[in-house]
Amino acid sequence: MEDLSRSFGETRALNSATLRVRPSEIHSLVGENGSGKSTLIKILSGVLRPDSGTLVWEGEARQLGSPRSAQGMGIATVFQETLIVPEMTVRDNIYLGTDGLFRYRHRKGDEIAGARQVLSDLGMDGLDLDRPMWTLSLAERQLTTVARAIIRPWQLLVLDEATSALDAQQRDRLFDYLRLARSQGRSVLFTSHRMDEVLGLADWITVLRQGATVATMGASEASRGGILGHMSGREAHADPAVVAETGPRRGSAGQQRPQRPVLRVAELTLRAASKPISVEVRAGEILGLAGLEGQGQVGFVECLCGLRRPVAGQVLALGDNGETHIVRSYRGANRLGIRYVPRDRRYEGLFGPLSVFDNFAITLWGDLSRLGLLRRQQARKRFAGFAESSRLVSASPSRAISVLSGGNQQKVLLGRWIAMRPRVLVVNDPLRGVDHNTKEELYGLFRRLAADGVAIIFLSTEIAELLTLTDQIAVFHEGSLVAMLPTEMSSDTDVVAAMFGADKHDGSADD
Amino acid sequence: MTSVVSDRARPSVLSTPAVRQILRRNTYAAVPLAMLIVLFIVNAAVQPQFLAQHNWATSMSVLCPTVLTAMAMTLPVLSGNGGIDLSVGPLAGFMSVLISTLLVPAGITSPLTVIPIVIVFGLLSGAINGVLVAYVRLPAIIATLGMYLFYDGLGTEVLPQAGGSVPVWLVKLNGSVGPIPAVWVVFAVIALLWTLVSRGSYMRNLLAVGGDERTSYTAGVNVARLRLVTYSMGGLLACLGGLMLTGLIQGGDGTVGPPYTISAITAVALGGISLAGGRGGLLGGALGGGVLFLIQELLTDAHVSVYSVSVVDGIILIGALALNGTVEYLRRRSSASRR
Repeated sequence: MEDLSRSFGETRALNSATLRVRPSEIHSLVGENGSGKSTLIKILSGVLRPDSGTLVWEGEARQLGSPRSAQGMGIATVFQETLIVPEMTVRDNIYLGTDGLFRYRHRKGDEIAGARQVLSDLGMDGLDLDRPMWTLSLAERQLTTVARAIIRPWQLLVLDEATSALDAQQRDRLFDYLRLARSQGRSVLFTSHRMDEVLGLADWITVLRQGATVATMGASEASRGGILGHMSGREAHADPAVVAETGPRRGSAGQQRPQRPVLRVAELTLRAASKPISVEVRAGEILGLAGLEGQGQVGFVECLCGLRRPVAGQVLALGDNGETHIVRSYRGANRLGIRYVPRDRRYEGLFGPLSVFDNFAITLWGDLSRLGLLRRQQARKRFAGFAESSRLVSASPSRAISVLSGGNQQKVLLGRWIAMRPRVLVVNDPLRGVDHNTKEELYGLFRRLAADGVAIIFLSTEIAELLTLTDQIAVFHEGSLVAMLPTEMSSDTDVVAAMFGADKHDGSADD
Repeated sequence: MTSVVSDRARPSVLSTPAVRQILRRNTYAAVPLAMLIVLFIVNAAVQPQFLAQHNWATSMSVLCPTVLTAMAMTLPVLSGNGGIDLSVGPLAGFMSVLISTLLVPAGITSPLTVIPIVIVFGLLSGAINGVLVAYVRLPAIIATLGMYLFYDGLGTEVLPQAGGSVPVWLVKLNGSVGPIPAVWVVFAVIALLWTLVSRGSYMRNLLAVGGDERTSYTAGVNVARLRLVTYSMGGLLACLGGLMLTGLIQGGDGTVGPPYTISAITAVALGGISLAGGRGGLLGGALGGGVLFLIQELLTDAHVSVYSVSVVDGIILIGALALNGTVEYLRRRSSASRR
C-alpha cells in the first residue's frame, strides 16, 4: 500500500504540492518548466528534504534522509540527467550503491546474471557488461541508469524524463516492462515532455503549476487540451490574474513592417535526427524562443552567436547593402554585430569584484581606446546615458557589482552589450530571478531597442514573458523547430501544446 | 612446469575473467611501470654500484617513506572533488618526533605498542582531515594545508634539529633479512592487506565517488562516510611512512617531513592517477614513488646540486601532469575510433 501526500510551505520551487500514488498504478506528473516536477521528484528520491510537509508511505509517515534510505524503502529513481560514472564498467554502474562500504552485497556471478536479466528486460541483450560506460551511446547510457534503478527491489519507480534519449522501439520496450510491473502490484511515477507518452501510458495524471498541484485526474477523463489548459492556467473561463500578469501585448503599434532582414538561418540542423531550421529575423523584430528544458533552443542560440557549430547549415548575417557573411565563430559573430547575453550571469557574464562601471565598460575599450589609452570620459558618457534610460539603481558606479540586486546586475550586463550598438541581440533567459518592476523596466528597454531597429532574439522559460514581449514565438521540440507562432494570434495554451510536441490543431479540437 | 604446458596455458590464463579484470583495472599503471623499468635499466647502466647487495637495502629504505607517503596521497586524490592530503609529509615527519621524544623516553619501545600507537595516530589524524572535507565541507587543499602547518610547527617546536633516540628494531627494519631488504617485508604486508580491502566493494565505491560524485550519491553510496574512511586510511599510510622514516634517520627531526608532501604529489601524477579523481589505484602511487626515486638517484649520481634538484622536481611534476593528459587523450581517441 502506498499513499503519498506532501505539502510544502516555504519552498519557492514547490508550494503545497500534493501527490498520491496507489499500488498497481502508472502515474504521470506533468507541468511546464519550473512547475516543480523535478523538485518533487528529488524529494521523493531523498536527494532534497522538504521544508515542510509529510511523506506517507505504506500508511506510515516517513522521513527520507538520503537516496539510500529512499531506496531502502523501495523507491527507485531515474533522474533527468543521465547520471553515470564514465570510467567504470556497465556492471559497476548498474550495481553502484548497492554495496556496503567494504563488502559487496551481491556475489559477482549474481551481479552478472542480474545485470544480464535487467538489460534484457530493457532490450539490451548483447551489451558487454565489462565495457566502460563512456563508450556507450546516449540511449544505452540512459537505459543503464534505468537498469540501475530497477535492479533494486522497488515498489515505486520514479522516472524523470527517462526516455528523452530513447528511440521508439526502446521506449516501447521500457513501457512494456512498466506495464508488467504494474500488473505485479508495483507503481510507477513518471514525467515526460511527450504528451503521447503521458496519455498512452498513465492511469492517473497530476498537473503541477508554479509548485502547486492544480489537478489530478484519471487518464480516461483526461484530454490533451484539458491537461494543457491546467498546465498553462488558462482554462475555458480565463483566470483574470493570469491575464493581468500577461499584460498588454506588443501590438502592431509603432512597428513599420516589413523591415529588411538582418539575420538568416539556413537549413540549420542541431542534432543528427532533428529537422533543419530556416528562419529569417528582421531589424526591429523580437523573436521569442520557447521549449521545454533541453529541446535544442539553447543550442540554437549558441549556433546563432558562433559558440557552437551546428551539425549542418549556416547562420548568415545580412549587411545594410544586402551583403551576407557566414557566422563561423563567436568573435566573427561579434564583429558582425551579433551580441550574446548569456544565461548564467554569475559565471558567464559578470566580474564579481569589479565595479559596476568596469563591468559595463569592459567590452567598450576596444572601440573607445586610442593608441592603447583608454578614453574613460567617453565611456562614462555612455554609462550615464544607459543608467538613465534603464533606471539603473546604484549608489555609485564605482561600487562592486556583486552588491547590486539581481535585476540591476542584469541591467548592467544588458547595458554592456547594448552600448556596443548591436544589430542582433541574442538574450538567453535574461529575466530569470528578476523582480516584477525591474522586469517591466527591462521590457521597456527591449522595446525601445527594437524600435531603434535592433533585432532581438529572446529565449525565455516563461511563456507569459514571451507573449508580452515578442512578435513571433519559435517553439522547439527534440532539437527541431516545431512551430512558429505569431504572438498576436496565440495563447499560452498554443505555446504549451507546441512545447509538448502536440499539433496545434489537436489541442484546439479537444477544447 | 614444462614449456609445452606453459605455452598452451598462457593465452588461456591471460583471458580468464579474473586476470582480465586485474589487467583492466590497472591499465593506468602501464605507463609508470614502463618508466620504472626504463629508469631502473638506465640507473643500472650508469651507476656500477646500483645493483650491489648493500646498496639495495639502503636504496629500498630511502625509497620507502617516499612510496608510503605517495600511497597516502593517492587515496584522497582518487576520491575526487579536489581531494588531496597535503599533511602527509609533516605527519610522517612528526612520527619521528613522537617516537623519539615522547614514546622512547616514556619507555614505550616495543613494536607491539609503538606500531599500534602509530596506526591509531594515523587513523585519527586522517579522520580529522576526513571530517573537515566530507562533513564540514572545507576544500581539501585548505583543510589539509591547515594540518600540514599544524604538524610542521609542532614538530619543529619540539625538535628543531635531529635528535632523540629510536628503538633498535625500527633501525633494523631498514636493514636486510638475509638477502632480502626488510622494507620488502613491509611492502608485502601492505600489499596483502590492500589486496584484501580491494577484494571488497571499497575500490568500486571510491572510484565511483571520484568519477562522478552526484551519480554515486543518488545511487546510494554514502559519499561522506567513504571520504572519511579514505582520508583515515591515507593518514594511516602516512604514519607508516613516518615509522619507516624514523628508522631511516635513526632519530627524530621536526624538519624532515614537509618535503615528502611535494614528492607525494609528484609521485601520484607520475603514477598515472587522475588528479581529478576516479581513475587509478594504490599501485600507481607506489610506482610513481619508485619512478621519482630513480630519477633522483640519477640526479644525485650526476652531482646535481640540491637546488637544481628542486627545479627538476618542478619540471617533473608539470611534465607528469601533461603526460597524464596526453595518455588519456590518446586512449580515448583510439577507443573511440575502434567503435
